[in-house]
Amino acid sequence: MPLLDQFAPPGDLEDLSPVGRRAWSEALQAVFGRFTGDFLQFIDPTATDVPDDADVALVSWGAFPATQRSGTPEQRWQRVDANRDLQDEYCEWSVERDDAGEVRAVTFTTETPDYHAHLFGVDADAALGLYEQFVGRRVTARDLRSAAGEYDKNNAFNTRVDGPIVHLRQASNTLAAAVQLAAEATILRERDGQPVTDAQSLVACGGLGEPLRNSDPQIAAAVNNLAAEGRDITLAAPPGLYITDLMTNGIQTRDGTDPKTLWSIQRGSSQHAVRGRFEIPDELAGGVTVSGRPLRFGSQLAERVGVGLSVVSFPAGRRPTREPCRS
Amino acid sequence: MSVTPIDDRTCRAFDRVPSDANPGALLRFVVGEDPGPRPMSNADMAAELGDPFATLLLRAGTFPRTAEALLAGIDDATAAGDPLRSQMTFLLGEGSQLPDGPDAREANRGMRFIIARGSAPDGIDLLVSAASPTAGVIEVMAWDRRAGGFNLYRTVSDGRAWAFAGNSRHAISAATGGKGPFESHPSGSLLMKELKFPWLHWHSPPANIFARAFEPGDERANHRWFKDKLGADVLETSVAIPSIDRWTAKRFEGLIGADGSFQRPGRVVEQVVTTPTVNIVTSNRSSGAVTNGIEVDLPATFFVDADALAGPQLGLAAPPGFLVAGEHYLAALEQFGSALVDRTTGFRHPREPGRFADTHFAFAVPERAFEDQSTLRAAIEAGLLTPRLAACLLMVDFPNPVFSSRRAALLAHAPATAPATAAYSEEMANRILAAADAAGDGSPEREFADRWAAGADFVAPFDALLQAYYDAVTARLASRAGYFDVVRLAESRRLRVRAMPIGAEFDLLFATLRDDTAPRPLRMTPTATIDEET
Repeated sequence: MPLLDQFAPPGDLEDLSPVGRRAWSEALQAVFGRFTGDFLQFIDPTATDVPDDADVALVSWGAFPATQRSGTPEQRWQRVDANRDLQDEYCEWSVERDDAGEVRAVTFTTETPDYHAHLFGVDADAALGLYEQFVGRRVTARDLRSAAGEYDKNNAFNTRVDGPIVHLRQASNTLAAAVQLAAEATILRERDGQPVTDAQSLVACGGLGEPLRNSDPQIAAAVNNLAAEGRDITLAAPPGLYITDLMTNGIQTRDGTDPKTLWSIQRGSSQHAVRGRFEIPDELAGGVTVSGRPLRFGSQLAERVGVGLSVVSFPAGRRPTREPCRS
Repeated sequence: MSVTPIDDRTCRAFDRVPSDANPGALLRFVVGEDPGPRPMSNADMAAELGDPFATLLLRAGTFPRTAEALLAGIDDATAAGDPLRSQMTFLLGEGSQLPDGPDAREANRGMRFIIARGSAPDGIDLLVSAASPTAGVIEVMAWDRRAGGFNLYRTVSDGRAWAFAGNSRHAISAATGGKGPFESHPSGSLLMKELKFPWLHWHSPPANIFARAFEPGDERANHRWFKDKLGADVLETSVAIPSIDRWTAKRFEGLIGADGSFQRPGRVVEQVVTTPTVNIVTSNRSSGAVTNGIEVDLPATFFVDADALAGPQLGLAAPPGFLVAGEHYLAALEQFGSALVDRTTGFRHPREPGRFADTHFAFAVPERAFEDQSTLRAAIEAGLLTPRLAACLLMVDFPNPVFSSRRAALLAHAPATAPATAAYSEEMANRILAAADAAGDGSPEREFADRWAAGADFVAPFDALLQAYYDAVTARLASRAGYFDVVRLAESRRLRVRAMPIGAEFDLLFATLRDDTAPRPLRMTPTATIDEET
């Protein structure tokens, strides 16, 4: 397979001009480049050939944060709905309600701030256009800038929990963080002479994130397992975090409407979805149940939303050795 | 045609079907109803079996010998786009997370696949369980859209024939309940023991099962099923819970009469006050990641039936997060000699003296089964049980959410009939109250009477009881000795599970502790001390 010419934007989104796409690729190449030197089994596919028969494995997890499972379901759903800082599994959501308080739409996004900051930097009009499309009102460049004049992912339009949402904003939810995690997870670890392979232990041992999250241990363990087989590893093109599915079995509607018809992919493709929306029409307001309970929280759906990234690997004849834990 | 009786009422009866019994046939062997396996004619099948396995394969004379062939047969019998062609594959094994190394090869890892076919908002239509796509025993649960309930099948006679082992309805019939496959499916529902996050033993986001869990050369590691497997999070959400709720709903449809009566109400109450089966729940923390200085979360449903009591129907106080210090957790492993032991093969991990181990996720214990929670919810929705009665029953001996002999004693007061569904709760309460007068102090009936005396506004007084208990548990867990007592209680409950059909199959279901950890059944008290069961 020839070298990948350039990294496409996540979901192959078409917001960028050709020049903007090239700049995005260069920015992402710089991110990969920070790791390819130090982590021999992690490669940049724009710099190293990937064989045609390389394996592609989807690493997927649930959008609802694993660190937030305490309390009753209602308590945890309410808590996480109300605080996007808790939504740390590379997926965030926001809930729209009607005057009666009924859930009318839940929008999920895996679009990273890296991409939107880039878009704003190279084509502010396109970025503003997206904001206006999503929030339904006029947005100016000043609205999106921090006091220092840079793109502010925590701008007023992107921090809501009760209205339209634009992209991820939680501190860990960046594409660069995912790339770093995948790269660093290629290092095999040992503690007291024993291989460290269990996901949570690996994350703690390698300083790879939060051991009790869904995402970090899952990505780390999957990559580490491939690395142990002597494979070289990269992220599948286009690198990104994707919404893999909304599981609708167990969701029921008052009039028998198939709940699948309430779910739509708004950005990206079915294979590389980055924005999904569950929207309840007027006639079904208050008439949707999830596992027998009325739909009152976005988190009830988040527990059914899959998030993932795809890892590409191929035999490279590596004979990796194990390194001691970082801590 | 003569039937050779098989004098065995357990699920092992199917292993005793003679190897020459009617190859290429469907045998009806509903233990408790059929003295032995008897061939079913096509007319028999047409009359009794309305599920896709029967209609698409068996009645067409197709008797697959392997699970892979079974699914290929379904594909051949259906058109493109048919939901029955939509497949989800899952994998579990009690030894799936054992550390690499030659020792692990001695273990019976119990690896097996679960295949789900079909898709509908209320669940899937076909479930296949097999250790291998190409060999071994195959078990099938197939939803019967005509009659309702799952039809259960399995291969017998070394795979030469199939047996119809009953419908979900047989689980709740006096003659067949608890017999044959219904030992492990006591209410006729699908069984996914480790139903909740982090789904101990299953391939899941928090614990992937990698190819190294198979022996070198094991073809299963290269099979499409392994490559396409999904996580237990999908199984829980998309398959298990909808399927259990689906059967509960169908079952209740049949129990509620047009005249307002409710059939066999005692069977429902039994699922509320006793422990017909359990689910297994654990800490979210993997045992290998526990070190001094970190806290280990313990599953709240070990301490209280939080799913029911603090659920939306009863609305009582939810427990806090119960935590134990990592050093206490590790000390308990040593104190009680915790190890992973498979007595059937002699496997033990770790072998080295002075080292100890727990299940992959720490502190595996039983909790009240989701199928019983589903039944409780349906009973309240149907009006058979009022929230007040349900709360009062569950608040008797509430520190013991499973295996409570005190709560089980109340079953004796459950009226056998319910001519008027709406009057049932009051009648049952009155019977217990009447018995309480004669019962001694400290009896379950007296305890119920105390609860009932709280009246319709039971939430505040019950919350006060629960909160005092939660505070006591939290205080107990702060000390090493207190946590050691909790471990003894946990082991006592695990031993009860090991004595159940669902717990006897695989030694590696739980860690094995020293024999003297819990030599007699133990119970928790409202002050969070541990007593022997009396």
